[in-house]
Amino acid sequence: MEALLNALPGWTLLPETVQTVGVIVAQIVPILIALTLCVAYLTYAERKVIGYIQNRIGPNRVGYKGLLQPFADVLKLMLKEVVVPTNSNRFLFVIAPLLAIIPAFATWAVIPFTDSFVLADINAGLLYVLALTSVGVYGVILAGWASNSKYAFLGAMRSAAQIVAYEIAMGFALVGVLMAAGSLNLSEIVRAQAGGTLMSWFWLPLLPLFVVYFISGIAETNRAPFDVAEGESEIVAGFHVEYSGMAFAVFFLAEYANMILISALTALFFLGGWLSPFAGLPVLGDTFLAESGFFWFALKTALFLFCFLWFRATFPRYRYDQIMRLGWKVFIPVTIIWIFVLGGMVYLEIGPWAR
Amino acid sequence: MSSMTRSFFKTYFLWELLQGLRLTFRNLWVRKFTVAYPEEKTPQSPRFRGLHALRRYANGEERCIACKLCEAVCPALAITIESATGPDGTRRTSRYDIDLFKCIYCGFCEEACPVDAIVETRIHEYHMERRGENIMSKDKLLAVGDRYEAMIAADKAADARYR
Amino acid sequence: MSDDSINLEINGQPATARKGQMLIEVTDNVGTYVPRFCYHKKLTVAANCRMCLVEVDRAPKPLPACATPVTEGMKVYTRSPKAIAAQRATMEFLLINHPLDCPICDQGGECELQDLAMGFGRDVSRFTERKRVVKDKNLGPLVSTDMTRCIHCTRCVRFGQEIAGIQELGTTGRGEHMEIGTYIERSVDHELSGNIIDLCPVGALNNKPYRYSARAWEMTQHAMVSPHDCAGSNMHLHVLRGTVRRVVPRERESINETWLADRDRFSYQGLYAEDRLQRPMIRQGDRWRESSWEQALEYAATQLAATLGNDGDHLGVVASPTATLEEHFLLSRLARHLGSHNIDHRLRVRDTRDQQNDPVFPSLGVTIAGIDTLQALFVVGSRLRHEAPIIAHRVRKAAMAGGRVSFLSAGRDEYLFPVSAYLDAAGVDLLDGLAGVLVAAAEAKGAPLPEHLAAACSGVIPADEHRRVAADLLDAEHAAVMLGLIAVRHPRYADLRALAAGVAEVTGASFGQLSDGPNSAGACLAGTLPHRLAGGVAVERPGRGLIEMFEAPRKAYLLHAIEPDADLACASLAQRALESADFNIALTAWDTPALRATCNVLLPISNFAETSGTFVNAAGDWQSFAGATRPAGENRPGWKVLRVLGNLLELPDCDYASSEEVREHLRTVLSTDGLYSGYRGRFAAARDAVDVSLAELDVPMYQLDAVLRRAFALQQTRTARTTAVESTAAARIEAVNA
Repeated sequence: MEALLNALPGWTLLPETVQTVGVIVAQIVPILIALTLCVAYLTYAERKVIGYIQNRIGPNRVGYKGLLQPFADVLKLMLKEVVVPTNSNRFLFVIAPLLAIIPAFATWAVIPFTDSFVLADINAGLLYVLALTSVGVYGVILAGWASNSKYAFLGAMRSAAQIVAYEIAMGFALVGVLMAAGSLNLSEIVRAQAGGTLMSWFWLPLLPLFVVYFISGIAETNRAPFDVAEGESEIVAGFHVEYSGMAFAVFFLAEYANMILISALTALFFLGGWLSPFAGLPVLGDTFLAESGFFWFALKTALFLFCFLWFRATFPRYRYDQIMRLGWKVFIPVTIIWIFVLGGMVYLEIGPWAR
Repeated sequence: MSSMTRSFFKTYFLWELLQGLRLTFRNLWVRKFTVAYPEEKTPQSPRFRGLHALRRYANGEERCIACKLCEAVCPALAITIESATGPDGTRRTSRYDIDLFKCIYCGFCEEACPVDAIVETRIHEYHMERRGENIMSKDKLLAVGDRYEAMIAADKAADARYR
Repeated sequence: MSDDSINLEINGQPATARKGQMLIEVTDNVGTYVPRFCYHKKLTVAANCRMCLVEVDRAPKPLPACATPVTEGMKVYTRSPKAIAAQRATMEFLLINHPLDCPICDQGGECELQDLAMGFGRDVSRFTERKRVVKDKNLGPLVSTDMTRCIHCTRCVRFGQEIAGIQELGTTGRGEHMEIGTYIERSVDHELSGNIIDLCPVGALNNKPYRYSARAWEMTQHAMVSPHDCAGSNMHLHVLRGTVRRVVPRERESINETWLADRDRFSYQGLYAEDRLQRPMIRQGDRWRESSWEQALEYAATQLAATLGNDGDHLGVVASPTATLEEHFLLSRLARHLGSHNIDHRLRVRDTRDQQNDPVFPSLGVTIAGIDTLQALFVVGSRLRHEAPIIAHRVRKAAMAGGRVSFLSAGRDEYLFPVSAYLDAAGVDLLDGLAGVLVAAAEAKGAPLPEHLAAACSGVIPADEHRRVAADLLDAEHAAVMLGLIAVRHPRYADLRALAAGVAEVTGASFGQLSDGPNSAGACLAGTLPHRLAGGVAVERPGRGLIEMFEAPRKAYLLHAIEPDADLACASLAQRALESADFNIALTAWDTPALRATCNVLLPISNFAETSGTFVNAAGDWQSFAGATRPAGENRPGWKVLRVLGNLLELPDCDYASSEEVREHLRTVLSTDGLYSGYRGRFAAARDAVDVSLAELDVPMYQLDAVLRRAFALQQTRTARTTAVESTAAARIEAVNA
């Protein structure tokens, strides 16, 4: 990227700070564009997958096999009016979607796509991720409050309580990853899983944590079966009931960006990120299958995204009290117990800690 | 294994959830039977209950005699009739309105009609663009009847055996 | 147990009956329904439909319940296999010639044949031959016919013979060729003939104005009281989507039994005449503009107050006897509040000399049902059949039961019963005849003439007829003298009343009178009189009556439900007075040229079917009713308009929320003891000649009030057409004479 910029005439003449900013921007923009496209096609994929599971064929009208459907949706949403309710808090009402989408995108700064390509290879990456994913909930709460609508407010309250509950379980699950990897740097976490086949990745020794983390991730993103914050059948559309047009689209974007983010993080923490499951298999030699790279990272992320859609098509919505029970009474004890088990494993030097 | 332990393992290994996932996953690959509607259509019965029509006799005389049995039988109160003496001294409707928004297309009006005047045709592809277009007035109903009389007569003939 | 009671058993249940009762009356009493077509409780037994066949123990064949007298120990089975078989067979025969046109038949849904065919008919007809067709008859503008549907129950024929007294319909032919008809082509004209519509169990005789306009099941039924005569017949309005579609009688044994006069049955058409006033109107110069109610009432109140200044005597109030009791009470209160006693409802009364002796309300002197049992009745100055058909029917019942009914009237009306004596009055001079009867009665009884009447009777030598009437009245235990509306409208009403009351006094008969409109009695009770307040409390200095207030024109008039050109005896006088007045308010349902020419504000008020209220009939029965339909246009019930007008004019205690509250207020004002309804005057009668023609005194039957004048079908009747011709012809003769 830097090389490309250097090739621009007169680039090197610019002041150094400008150059640095330019380089960063030049890295951010492709990531954002790619991410937005992913979100767009994730919606398409969602409709197709759920359609197929329900013995339908999903969107098939716009473009070949409906491939242009996301663009049609975007166009529609852009053309619609953004209605601001009369008695809403106008400022918060407008700022809430931004608060939802900014953390969803900003977290991607520390995600290592390959061994070498990461926007900010910081040592406190994991901490940064935890911090930013927690900020996302403010968008939901503010949207619910600013709308001055009972349904929206109920949705926001549910969302807040749910996220508090699952954040803890998620954090404990990441403590396990931390214990296994010994680093907060996401690239280091992946590298700690290298050196073997898929059996050497953290998913196996941290299996309960892996499950807890992914399920908590679903809850964090307010996806089915944990979508009580939206709960169409109970509270219409929850926190974003008053939003329309692009304001609604931004929430939509944030939700799907978060889905991709959680999938990517799960891939990084438990399935070895960009690592190939077949590294070192003599049969494959040095084909791309055996080679670690972005392909594997994308594939693993896609696998988890499919699970998101699959779960949505399979499970009915949790009752609210059951969600709370699951979070507080099942996931948190399970993670705590497994952290103790991990302690034992570290002491006995088994699993990843076998030297 | 006691049932309690079994249920414990079932719970903690999410057994039933996995079963559900298996079911949906299998359905992902099942052959789809969606009909691509405007290009493909499903076959219709001659008894199909779609848009209403008022029929005439072959000599052009309205069949409807304003007996108001359809109005009386209509469970949705969608039909409003006003009757009067017609120009030829016979009993006729001066107003025959069906509110398509109220209508539940149950076909009772058709059943009740002693002269086969009100019928439900196979037409189901229609729309309204303006307020008030949901009211099918007598003129509109007669126009539908005039236009599709051949189809209506054929459908009635096909179904006559079973009535 | 008295001697004439009989024990029998119906379907195994013991029952008791009076000797001579027919089986069907007993089964009806115990609530066991026996199907019937020809039987009707008000008609004689014909036993020609054979539908009421029941099985009687030890009788070889089923017997018709309507024609089988009960006997001791009889065992009757109405639902036994034998009875049902007989009923089913009868039904099958009846249906042979009955067309299957129920969908277009107006009787469909309320048809006795239809109902019974459901209960006793086969579901598939075995009759494959041709059905009989009968040509329809033209029975006039009120009754439509579909004679093919006739099942020959002959209820209509018997109605003509027994109730109307004139056999307008009869049967011709036998067997399959039997037909009901009028023998020669003519219409049915009796004033009760509409009742054959109700009597006909099938759709053969139907309501012509109502024809094809609604179905029985979709209308709502509202109880109402007749708005046209002083009998106060009870009726039901049948309303569909806010419009009255037809009127049927409401059974009330003490007033109209099961009958209803054509006038009450068909007048509803007048409600929907084109000249209905839709919105309040205000005159500005020579132009009229529509206005809102607030504006119009505000304008009316302020202008009225300004016109009157401090002197309420400048106001004249005229109300129609078709208005409700509540409206009269509010009007009376309003007029007195404004300081005026110039208020009257006696639109066609010409003579008020004796008004201080008026009873609290004009009464018949007997109850309406009590007329049936009169042994002698002397009717003075009346076209009874036109004035109150239901009372005329009662009088006929009395006459048919042997009562001696005699008339004193100008012009001879056809009474369809034996009349004991018909005293023809020369011109409209009723006084001579009355004096003759009085003298004859006094002679026969050997009693002196009442002193105050001696002058009027001087030189009168009674004729044989006079003596016969007097003898009838004297011989009878229950006798009555009744003044008709021609007498009430007579220029010598005071003398007539005094003489008639004298006859009643000498002969011991009860004395009463008919009154105009449905609510003259109510108007008197409510105080719409210049000399009386509500409840008959006398006014110290009586105000001007109707004619006086027009003779000495007032500055302002308030007209309630009046058409000044058609409702008043003194129409031209009124017209001049109204034109000269400064400010006239009309509460009216109609937008007529006469009102436009004379009034400044027109306030649309409801007609009879549209307002709640109370009518008091000539027997003193208070009959309240609720509004049946929404008023046309912006019309409001009269009592509401008057209440708001009262509020604007600062009438105290005028915050009524309903017409019931107005009525209850009036009840508190009425004292119970002062409510005498008989005439006790001692008016010194004289026997002066009068120069007025019968045509002036008589108001044709279907011209009586604004609604009737607009009732299209009634105006098409022969009665309406001939009376119209009569009155115009008479008017022409008058003009030539003058």
